[in-house]
Amino acid sequence: MNTSSTRYTFIFAVIVCVVSAVMLSVFSEGLRPQKELNEELDVKKNILKAVALKEPLAPKMKGGDVLEVYDSKIEELVIDKEGHVVAGKTPKQLTGKDKDLYPLYIYKEDGRVMAYAFPIVGQGLWSTLYGYLAVEADATTIRGATFYKHGETPGLGGEIEKEWFQNNFKGKTIYSVKEHKLTPVVVVKGKAADVVSKDEYELSHHVDGITAATLTGKGVTELIDRWVRVYDAYLSKLRKI
Amino acid sequence: MGEALLSSKNQKILKDGFWDTNPITFQILGICSALAVTTQLKAAIVMSLGLTFVTAGSNVVISLIRNFIPPQIRIIVQLTVVSALVISIDQLLRAYMFDVSKQLSVFVGLIITNCIVMGRLEAFAMGNPPWKSFLDGLANGAGYSAVLIMIGIIREIFGSGTLLGFHVIPASFYAAGYVNNGMMVLAPGAFFLLGIIVWIQRSISGYKES
Repeated sequence: MNTSSTRYTFIFAVIVCVVSAVMLSVFSEGLRPQKELNEELDVKKNILKAVALKEPLAPKMKGGDVLEVYDSKIEELVIDKEGHVVAGKTPKQLTGKDKDLYPLYIYKEDGRVMAYAFPIVGQGLWSTLYGYLAVEADATTIRGATFYKHGETPGLGGEIEKEWFQNNFKGKTIYSVKEHKLTPVVVVKGKAADVVSKDEYELSHHVDGITAATLTGKGVTELIDRWVRVYDAYLSKLRKI
Repeated sequence: MGEALLSSKNQKILKDGFWDTNPITFQILGICSALAVTTQLKAAIVMSLGLTFVTAGSNVVISLIRNFIPPQIRIIVQLTVVSALVISIDQLLRAYMFDVSKQLSVFVGLIITNCIVMGRLEAFAMGNPPWKSFLDGLANGAGYSAVLIMIGIIREIFGSGTLLGFHVIPASFYAAGYVNNGMMVLAPGAFFLLGIIVWIQRSISGYKES
């Protein structure tokens, strides 16, 4: 067999292509339901984490149980630029084409609103950061923040995915009662108590940063600012200050 | 055939890949990933397993079809086999080990471009039967893994004060003024460690510049 002839080479190349293409399609399509379920579960877990619902996130919880808690406690809405709820739309139906439509998740306990959560996305130092921010029913106090996807340096900017950093956001405020205007939190370089004064008001708008990851922190500040302003169209109506 | 599965020749293949011609310390291949995934031990271990599996697997596949591959397009055929294997693994991880796949994200794809995989295909699998090629892939993968895991352990302990995510440096050290070494987390730290490991390995194995 002459394996160098043009004819043979061509046929061989076609066979290799077809075989690998078929194999990959089978894998990709066959596993699709499982993959989509994982992604959906991941989004829901992160929303639950942001609103600080701890029990369903324990390691022993199965996927189905997480979904059950989610479905019974989280209400999904879509709002527009003016902060009006868009009837008949769910976050799942949103595509890239839906400009000025934003998903909003409301956490309710026995019919009482506990928190509002929304996605936050933006540039860190090296990568796009994806997370959720949740505010309490007063639409002012941060209940929790998560970052679940990023490409920052592990051990430095990558620490944003760790609990200790995300816990720094708890109890901070996005609205200034002194100036009566929106004042989202700032991630500082180092410890907030060292950088700004120890004054409680100042501290409530500043978050401890990550050592040696100042620029990631800057990115976090900017993206929180951006999304808090977007969602303020809705949140400002709830604020009773 | 008629040769024992672990005949002396085959044992030599194992020893060569792991020690005498170790892909990192002897051939200086796979440096990129040795720097990129070793900030934490867990990532280093998973990358090692992935690479060992892919090297051994693609070595076997290429060795099986080695007599049919047209010489002009052999590199691209090798690359296709490697990519198909890696993407299949990635899909499986995404479906059944979602958390692991999230952590590895780009690293799995990076296995495709790891020079060790193609280096072994070109240097060994193209001219040797499947079983020998399998051993060669396994041995080179193990050699790579050993270096990666060593670097991973040192970098995680000194860079983050943890090992596999558990704190190993006592809090009293930090209270006494100890700080984590930031350089260990960054690429230069890995370069220094790698240089030292290459040096030590080469002095023991008696490497001579040819």
